[in-house]
Amino acid sequence: MLTTPERIAFLLLALASLLLTLRGVRLIVRAIGRGYGRPSWGVFLRRVIPVSLDILLQRPIFRTRPLVSLLHAGVFFAFVFYGLVNVLDLLEGFNGYSTLHASGVASAYNLVADLLSVAALLGMLGLLLRRFGLRPFRFNRAVFLLPSVRFGISRDSAIVGGFILLHVGSRWAGQAVRIAESGRPDWSQPTASLLARLLGGLDAATLAVASHATWWLALGLILVFLPYFPYSKHIHLFMAPLNLILREEKPLGRLEPPVGNGQLGSARLEELRWYQILDAYACIMCNRCQDVCPAHGTGRALSPAALEINKRYYLNRNLNRFAGGTTSPPLLETATSRAAVWSCTTCGACVRICPVGNRPMLDLIDLRRSLVFAGDELDPNLQAALESLSRYGNSFGKPARQRARWARDLPFPVKDARKEPVEYLWFVGDFASFDPRMQENTKTVAQLFHQAGVDFGILYEDEWNSGNDVRRVGEEGLFELLAEHNLAVLGKARFRAIVTTDPHSYNALRNEYSALGLDVPVYHYTEVLAELLERGQLRPSKRLQAVATYHDPCYLGRYNRITAAPRRVIRALGLELREMPRHGENTYCCGAGGGQIWMDSGGQERPSEQRIREAIALGEDVRFFVVACPKDMAMYSDAVKTTGYEQRLTVIDVARLVAWATGLIELEREAAPVSE
Amino acid sequence: MTLAVILKQVPDVVEELAIDPSGTDLDRDSVSYVVNEFDEHALEEALLLREATGEDVVVVGVDTTGELDQALYTALAKGAQRAVKLVGDVEGSWLSTRALAGLLAPVIRELSPRLVLTGVQAPDDLDGQLAPTLGALLDWPHTGVVVGTELADGLVRVRKELWGGIMLDLELATPAVLGIQAARATPRYVPVGRVRQAMRESTIEEVEVETPVESAPKLSRLRAPEAAGRAEMLTGSPSDVVERILEILRARGLY
Amino acid sequence: MAERILVLAEQLEGQLTDVTLELIGVARRLAAPRGSTVDALVLGEGVSALAATVPADRTLLMEHPALRLFNPEAAQRALEAVARETSPWLVLVPNTSLGMDVAAAVATRLGWPLVAYCQAIEERDGQLVATSQLFGGKILADCPVGTDHAVISVLAGAFSSEAAAPEPPARIERLAPPAELDGLRVRAVGLERPEAADVDITRAEKIVAVGRGIESKENLELAEELAEGLGAVVAASRPLVDAGWLPRSRQVGKSGLKVKPRLYLALGISGAPEHLEGMRDAELIIAVNTDPKAPIFDVAHYGVVADLFEVAEALQERLGG
Repeated sequence: MLTTPERIAFLLLALASLLLTLRGVRLIVRAIGRGYGRPSWGVFLRRVIPVSLDILLQRPIFRTRPLVSLLHAGVFFAFVFYGLVNVLDLLEGFNGYSTLHASGVASAYNLVADLLSVAALLGMLGLLLRRFGLRPFRFNRAVFLLPSVRFGISRDSAIVGGFILLHVGSRWAGQAVRIAESGRPDWSQPTASLLARLLGGLDAATLAVASHATWWLALGLILVFLPYFPYSKHIHLFMAPLNLILREEKPLGRLEPPVGNGQLGSARLEELRWYQILDAYACIMCNRCQDVCPAHGTGRALSPAALEINKRYYLNRNLNRFAGGTTSPPLLETATSRAAVWSCTTCGACVRICPVGNRPMLDLIDLRRSLVFAGDELDPNLQAALESLSRYGNSFGKPARQRARWARDLPFPVKDARKEPVEYLWFVGDFASFDPRMQENTKTVAQLFHQAGVDFGILYEDEWNSGNDVRRVGEEGLFELLAEHNLAVLGKARFRAIVTTDPHSYNALRNEYSALGLDVPVYHYTEVLAELLERGQLRPSKRLQAVATYHDPCYLGRYNRITAAPRRVIRALGLELREMPRHGENTYCCGAGGGQIWMDSGGQERPSEQRIREAIALGEDVRFFVVACPKDMAMYSDAVKTTGYEQRLTVIDVARLVAWATGLIELEREAAPVSE
Repeated sequence: MTLAVILKQVPDVVEELAIDPSGTDLDRDSVSYVVNEFDEHALEEALLLREATGEDVVVVGVDTTGELDQALYTALAKGAQRAVKLVGDVEGSWLSTRALAGLLAPVIRELSPRLVLTGVQAPDDLDGQLAPTLGALLDWPHTGVVVGTELADGLVRVRKELWGGIMLDLELATPAVLGIQAARATPRYVPVGRVRQAMRESTIEEVEVETPVESAPKLSRLRAPEAAGRAEMLTGSPSDVVERILEILRARGLY
Repeated sequence: MAERILVLAEQLEGQLTDVTLELIGVARRLAAPRGSTVDALVLGEGVSALAATVPADRTLLMEHPALRLFNPEAAQRALEAVARETSPWLVLVPNTSLGMDVAAAVATRLGWPLVAYCQAIEERDGQLVATSQLFGGKILADCPVGTDHAVISVLAGAFSSEAAAPEPPARIERLAPPAELDGLRVRAVGLERPEAADVDITRAEKIVAVGRGIESKENLELAEELAEGLGAVVAASRPLVDAGWLPRSRQVGKSGLKVKPRLYLALGISGAPEHLEGMRDAELIIAVNTDPKAPIFDVAHYGVVADLFEVAEALQERLGG
């Protein structure tokens, strides 16, 4: 029980604290509201229950780092339960209601509160130990950070961690004091009772003071902390669920047009969409996104975490003005750098891993859009590619008429899908069509389709680049141009489904074009091959005895969750599949996506080289590095040479393996596997 | 004051070129057109000059392809202020440089620019380059193979490339005509969205011109270079080819 | 029958360029059957010694301070005046950076026809035909040349310079500069020669030359490795130098350097006429290009239609191993 002055003091403090906090929260809401668009209440209603359940089960957090996630879960569950604990403790302070030595439901409550307090304390200590001792925050030197960030993160972590330790610790200690005062242990609060035994020697007056002090430290502290809350990363405990709940169920592979007449893109904070500003408040600064980022992993200037953290720190320092509507400085001065913007491979790993549902990749794409539209200088290779794409419809600077040249070498004619109906319209893709190193694969796929009796055709020179990566380098107008052309051509052709050899084209056709009106099934060629093998239309004449690993292309595995089909093919051939640690939706980027294939990388090492090492680490007996993307074929054929593992590991397209098993081709240079 | 840039569309030499049955022209139906690469540099150089001195850039062209609008809108999107299109009964025809200069000269005189910039040469300027021809017609100072410009009071300083990296610095009284070999920077990229914006928001001025009597370059026939004297082609797998190359080198004591 | 062929001799700082001799060689060949004489016009200041070495029938020497360095306006005025005066049936001008400023302007002012980019001049059925290289060397145009005044601008390297007998001119005639040279609107300020290069590709015995086909700067490494394996130096076509991937001192071609190595391995070079001009005299040219119609195969001794990377890598493997 509090004294009357204490009660008055508490109420006054509570009033001041709430007013201050409210002001902060209002500013945040207004800041987020400066972004484009508005959240949809329909989405909220649809998602609030399932997503809340997800969060209660801590599923977004347990995607990676199991041990750390466990520590987090301790703090999290304690926090949720402490909602009730704090109310009851308030009651105790004001009118003496107590669950001490109670029985029934109250004793169960006591037990849970007691155990969760310890879980929270241990969890928090563990997290603090990790943050300040085992794995402190580190960014690549080239990463842009606001000056306030470097120190700010540690201070904020210390304040939030200290608050939780003090708040929970005081409550836990307070229970121990009250148990000691009662003179006997409360077995529904076992850990507090243990602590109480240590306090047994204290006299009643000291215990009474301690009881008041711990009450104030537990509950008064909340009031002190509360106004700071909107400025601390602790606000994630509201913003993260909100972010997760309000996120529309749209494929990651479908971008929204740029803001500002669908052209301008976003150069400043207020030119982002509302949820991109919310991202900064949802971010808990765990750096998981940075850990999986292939750009950061190869020493480049990009850290998706730093982007969100910078945004947040800019907002913290300028919240009043920003919420009030003043124009903010360019994001390239406050949040990230040009080098970082152009390092992104749009692999989507940061989005996939983020436990709070942030999408830093979208900021980077919107920044690219603004740079491109403003006429900022482009990487010369990228510029050449874009010019070639707008002139010839491909990035190779080759006349469109040469697109189907590879088909001339085949012993059978390939149908012209513009002139006759086909079952499968094969959208071949730029790399598979023009890159001399890939054309062998392309011919192999054609021969396999032919062998299996698939009715297929191509669009010849009327197939243009799908624009997937063009859109992701921020050249929206060119993407529209390419898409309009392809849609017009597809609209005139008669076919049942599209099959494509290129995961990037797959993504564009499936996710982007469907938003523009294309409504046909789209398959990746591995899906078709798997089915042809399973239906017996392709019959392997030999089983391949070797160990293989498979690299999931980002735009296939992560973006579109096609992970099973290529594996079905590999297993159907008799190969033993050994997975790399990063596979399926957690695959690691080859470094070529998002237009990187057209840019000078400038990193210390290429992601593709790291990936080859990952495969090598699987064991001496892994012979094949199987790919299902022409860009991967190019990237890994290079990487296996530059890393010096050319003799040990053979990079091979899955179609080549199928063709070898069915006797269509011989593998001379590729170290053919042993057959039975 | 203004800077006039002359843009000319020429057959894209990346594409396969076919000769018309008449034998004196390309098969224009199968040709695809691009802006002469050097003209792109001329435009870039003009835009760089504009950034330094604030001159207006006017792009001028004779529409021989029916597709010149695209090139002009692109130039406007890149930062030109005006676009002038000369139209007449010249579509689909191969204009000689002298005929082209003859059409342009009065229009350029009317524009009275400080400078005229165009590409140093074009893939089809059989009867000579445009800059010296136009310079002679206008009786303005001119020079070509220009790789850098700087405007000063009443004159333009240019850097002209000779050979072997030797540069010649010249000063020309303005107005002058320059044939640009390379702009000081790579011609800028213009996003498609900006071109579309220019198409919506800008207009192209049209000037009706009379068809010159003798408009085509004088030639008896076009032909593909003869196969004679062609290289002996080495075929086979890369390793076969390499073996052959090494043999050849060895035979000559080069390896 | 007209009597004279006028050749514009090209000199820079008292040095006659190779192309001048090539032009005089052609002029002599054309002059002989027609009974024409070959005049060479030397423009400059203090170049009388040079004039005495020009192997023409008659050397016309015009000296004036404005002609010291090349001045396009002065050269144009001078040639125009001389052409009016001597009324040659044929004027040959080099299609070089200097000649290009003059040929079209003079032809336009005189109203004489001009054939530019000429790579061959032949008699065909009693008609003189000048063949011009157009469309990046992909197409040739045969142009009839009459005997009633014509100007031809000739590509450097298209003809042999040996046909010009190394004998001094029969006579030297000094011409008074036209009055216009005193009121020019163009001033030549100065010449700048490139800084000494790390590698002198004109002296290299073997050259690995790369073009657009190399695609990116990173891929230059492969060329460097290959050059090392062959004991060669790396050179490039213009686009790569323009892109800043290699210094100017490595550029082969019209605006770059002229090379004559024992081996010229051209990787991913399609062979624009400007490039061919700088390397066609190499003793052995081996070209790798994906386009079977690339003009480089017209001057190469051996050609490979393939992806340059495949060949380069295979070659590198053999050399490295």
